[in-house]
Amino acid sequence: MSTVTSIAALLLFPSGLFLLLSGLAYEWADRKLLAQFQNRVGPRWFQPLADVVKLLAKEEVAPDGVNGRLFVALPIIALAGALTAALYVPLFGLAPAFSFPGDLIVTLYLLSMLTLCMGIAGANTLDRFSLVGATRALTQLFSYEAPFLLALLGPALVAESWQISEIAAYANGRYLLLTQPIGFLVAIIGLMGKLELPPFDAPEAETEIVAGALTEYSGRGLALFRLGKGVEMVVGLTLVAAFYLGGVANPFAFLLKTLVLLLVMVVMQALMTRLRIDQTVGMWWRYGALLVLAQWLITILFHAISQVHLMG
Amino acid sequence: MILSEKGWQTVFDRIKTWARVNSPWVIHFNSGSCNGCDIEILATITPRYDLERFGVKLQGSPRHADILLCTGPVTRQARERLLRVYEQMPEPKFVVAIGSCALSGGAFHDCYNTMGGVDQVIPVDAYIPGCPPRPEAIIDGVVKLLQKLQQGEKAEVGDQKPGELS
Repeated sequence: MSTVTSIAALLLFPSGLFLLLSGLAYEWADRKLLAQFQNRVGPRWFQPLADVVKLLAKEEVAPDGVNGRLFVALPIIALAGALTAALYVPLFGLAPAFSFPGDLIVTLYLLSMLTLCMGIAGANTLDRFSLVGATRALTQLFSYEAPFLLALLGPALVAESWQISEIAAYANGRYLLLTQPIGFLVAIIGLMGKLELPPFDAPEAETEIVAGALTEYSGRGLALFRLGKGVEMVVGLTLVAAFYLGGVANPFAFLLKTLVLLLVMVVMQALMTRLRIDQTVGMWWRYGALLVLAQWLITILFHAISQVHLMG
Repeated sequence: MILSEKGWQTVFDRIKTWARVNSPWVIHFNSGSCNGCDIEILATITPRYDLERFGVKLQGSPRHADILLCTGPVTRQARERLLRVYEQMPEPKFVVAIGSCALSGGAFHDCYNTMGGVDQVIPVDAYIPGCPPRPEAIIDGVVKLLQKLQQGEKAEVGDQKPGELS
């Protein structure tokens, strides 16, 4: 790949600017659908864009007692992590911009950068609400991360590769949702935990701890964190759709499948109320992790049996 | 055609104003009101009126908010807190005084322990009268503030008298 096309892939399409805009579009779809379920009209189509532009144009207050450099750098690192993760994912039905064996693990770690940055951002201030939010964000990170990782490794197991492009090629046309239903369930709920959507919004519960880890952020920092979350939503939806919903071979399939996944997430958001942080942790480790391990066991057993069959 | 420096400035200003008018995030502060106005504010953000149509979002943190919806006559105890919340908000910020007490002290007019209105403590951009004002009145007041923003004329401190809307 030449330098020019690499830079274009990084800055314009499919990563960079286009991804930021699609992140905003998915955020709008999420809010609009949720509004429909709550019997409301919901926001206008440009709402997330207006929010971000307004935040970027606002003053950024750096409160007393923060480490100034960290305060400025963390939102940038968070957004950069989410954007980098997008490079290894088959966005919009196109082949990933970059690919190497084992990039699935790298992508998943890049995706958790955002939460990690939010955690550090919360701990960086003297504000007690931020601190509680940061503690909750990191606690939640440790609870959903392992089951989510294992759930996405299920398709990797049957595809016999840890490279996203190869798994996506294997999953293309095969609805792994049918053969690995538990894995799919854990993956989609894990994605909701990752995005801190209800019922996993304890880290930013505005009725208890103001705005969680981002309480002290205003203007630019808040805008970048929001953009990062939008990007993460697109990347996460793409991963789950590519692995479990029969692949995203063309832009039309991509749109259709990610929107169906989004609809499932919105229904769950509308149906369920916020879990306490201990309930979240308990749910993930008591049920999520065990279920996904059971899924693994079944997959491995079937695999072994079919291998024996083939040999016999 | 490449725009001059001033031309770019106007374009940026227009984009900024557009974003500001279309995404007013509000925070709600009670400076000693009887809760009547607060209940009306909460009624305003219910699905029936659905202010998310206009981009209005209720925020918990003053750092995230653009508009401070303030009720109550500002008791002497609440004064410090109101000032602190106001100062925590990042610029540009706007204040809407809601209800008779926030306008002039209302039932607590001339009381020894109240300041007698929000504009005695912080600059107010829009006044919404009523005891309590109906949700429609609150929406009307906020929309009038946004129209004023659109025209680019932020009210100076003490520029308006209570009861005047635009």
